[in-house]
Amino acid sequence: MEYSERMEYYRQNRAQWHSRAVLANEALDSLEVPVGCVIVEDGKVIASGRNQTNETRNATRHAEMEAIDTLLEQWREQRLSKSQVAEKFSKCRLYVTCEPCIMCAAALSFIGIREVFYGCANDKFGGCGSILSLNSSSSEPQTSGGAPKGKGFKCTGGIMATEAVSLFRSFYEQGNPNAPKPHRPLAQQATQ
Amino acid sequence: MEEMWQIVHIPDNPPIPPDQQPTVDAIASLIDPLFANTLVRRLNQIAPLENLRHVKRVHKKFVQGVHYTGKTQLSVILCLASQNGNQLDSIQNDVQELMNSYQLSPFITKVGLSLFILTRSASMLHHQKKSGKNNASYGQHLIIPQLSITGFSQEDSQSVFSFMKYAIQLAKSGDNLEVNAAVIVDPSVKQVIAKACDQTCSCYNPKNEITLETSCSEKLETSVCHGISGGALSCKEHSNGFPAKSEQLYTGVSCLCPWGWAEQESDMSLRYCHPLRHASIVAIESSAARDRLLFPSSGKTQDNKSFEMDHMQSCSAASPAKRQKTNSTNIQVNYGEDNLDLNGEGCSRSLSARPYLCTGFDMYLVWEPCIMCAMALVHQRIRRIFFAYPNPKAGALGSVHRLQGQRSLNHHYAVFRVLVGTDI
Ligand SMILES: [Zn+2]
Ligand SMILES: [Zn+2]
Repeated sequence: MEYSERMEYYRQNRAQWHSRAVLANEALDSLEVPVGCVIVEDGKVIASGRNQTNETRNATRHAEMEAIDTLLEQWREQRLSKSQVAEKFSKCRLYVTCEPCIMCAAALSFIGIREVFYGCANDKFGGCGSILSLNSSSSEPQTSGGAPKGKGFKCTGGIMATEAVSLFRSFYEQGNPNAPKPHRPLAQQATQ
Repeated sequence: MEEMWQIVHIPDNPPIPPDQQPTVDAIASLIDPLFANTLVRRLNQIAPLENLRHVKRVHKKFVQGVHYTGKTQLSVILCLASQNGNQLDSIQNDVQELMNSYQLSPFITKVGLSLFILTRSASMLHHQKKSGKNNASYGQHLIIPQLSITGFSQEDSQSVFSFMKYAIQLAKSGDNLEVNAAVIVDPSVKQVIAKACDQTCSCYNPKNEITLETSCSEKLETSVCHGISGGALSCKEHSNGFPAKSEQLYTGVSCLCPWGWAEQESDMSLRYCHPLRHASIVAIESSAARDRLLFPSSGKTQDNKSFEMDHMQSCSAASPAKRQKTNSTNIQVNYGEDNLDLNGEGCSRSLSARPYLCTGFDMYLVWEPCIMCAMALVHQRIRRIFFAYPNPKAGALGSVHRLQGQRSLNHHYAVFRVLVGTDI
C-alpha cells in the first residue's frame, strides 16, 4: 500500500483506532495482554473485543474471537439466516492492535472477512504473514471435486504500529521495573 | 480384533520432499497382480534389497487412464540398478530369467534411501514410449511417509483406544460420523475433563455439559463400519483411512470443511449457526468453565491482584522492597501452578492444584483438526493429541500444515494417529 493511501486509511479510521486503543487499555487494567479490535461495516463500528484469556481461563478468547462472537450473537437476535451472516461478514473489516495469531487468522478466513488491518507484527504466532499466511488463499490446499475452497482476505500490517507496541511495552513494564520480571508467565500469555 | 488398533506417531518434521531426497536407481516392472506373491517371494530370494529393508517391494497405484475408467496397477522392484553402464543390461541372470518367464518390461525407478519413493524416470522410459501408452499418471511422485510406531505400554494403549472409542461414539449420529468430537482427558487419572461435538450448524447450545466423573471404562457399544480407503497418512493397506463413505459426504465435519458452513443445506433458514464452534473450541470452552467452577478461589485472587496492582500503581510512594514483594507474590499466586506440570509429570496432581489451562491433558479427536483448532490447542497447552482420521484438505497436523513442527510457537504437543480397529 502506498504511503499516502495508508495515511488516508489512518485518517478515515482514526475513531476506530481510538476505540480500539481504549479496549486495549481496558485489557491492560485487567492484566490481560493488551490486544483490542473493532469490526467495522460501512465505516461504522459494529462490534469490538479485547483479549480475555486470563479472566476466562480460556486461552482462545482473543480479541478477534470475542468480537466475532459479539457479532454472531447480534445477528442471531436479528434472526439472520446463514447466507445473510455470510454476506454480512464479507462486508466487514477488522482492525486489531496486533497481527492476528494463527488461530484467529484461520477464524477470520473461515468466516470470510473482507479485510484486516493490524498494528504490530506477531513474530511468534502471527497467521497473516509472520509464521503462516492464512490470509492468502494460495496457502490453502489444492481442492478437487467441488469441496469448498479456502477464502483469503486482504491484510495490511504496520498501521499505527508504534502505538500498539507502546501499549505492549506499558503492559510488560507496569509495576516495579526493578522487580524480577515474570518472564515465562508473560511470555506464555503473549500468545495473541 | 483389538490387535488391529494401533498408535502411530505423526512426526514434527515433514517427509523429505522427493527432489531433496537421496535415492538410488532400481529396476522395476509392472506386474500382473495374480503373480505378485510368487514374484515377490522369488525376488526376495534371488535379489534381496539388503540395505533397503524399509522399502516396500510392491507398490499399488490406482491409474486413471485415457481409455479405461480406472484400474489398479502393481509394480515391483526387481533389483537395484548398477551405478554405471546401461542399467537395464546389467540385470543379473536369474532376475533376467524371471523377467523373461513372466514377460516383464523393466524400467528404471528411484528408490528413496530414507523413505519409499517410486517414480518413473522419464528419460529411461523407452519401453513405455515404444508401446505408446499414455503415461501421464506416472508424473507424480508416490511417497509413503515414514511413520514410527510409538512405545506405548499395553495399558496406556488400551486407555488411548478406549478414549478414542468414546470420542467416536460421541461423533456418531446413527451409524455415521457426521461431526467431529473432541474429548479432553487427564491421563494421570484417566478422567474425561471435557467433551464436545461440532456446534457449527446445529441448534445453538451455549451451555456445554461439564463432565467431572465420566470414566473411560464405561462400556461403549459401537457399530460403525469402516471400509478400506487410503487416508493421506496411511501406510498400511488395512482399514485405517476414511470410514466407509467417501470423504465428500463429511461436509458436516467442521474441521474438514471450515469454509463450507454458509453453503451447507439447512432445512431451517433461520437456524442459528456459528461457523467457529468446532468441537475442539467448544471442548476448550467447556474445560475452562470446569476450571472456573472447580477453582473459583483463583478468580478472587484475580480481582485482588487487579486491585493490588491498581493500588500499587497509585501509591508510587510505597517502598521499593514492599512493592517488589507484592509483585512477586501476585505472580506466584497467579502463575505458580504453571510449574507443576511442565515436565509432563501429571501423576502427582491432586484436585486441589489447579492446572494451568490444559497442561498435562490429552485431546482425542475423531478427525484431524483444522489449523484454527490446532492452534487453539497450542494456546490451551494440550500435551498430546490423538486423532483417528486424517483431514487431507484442511488438516493442520500433517495433512496440509504441520503445526507441531512450528518451532516458533511457545508450546508443542505430541501428535498421534490412532488407527481404528475393525471392532468399531
Ligand atoms: Zn488470536
Ligand atoms: Zn477446526
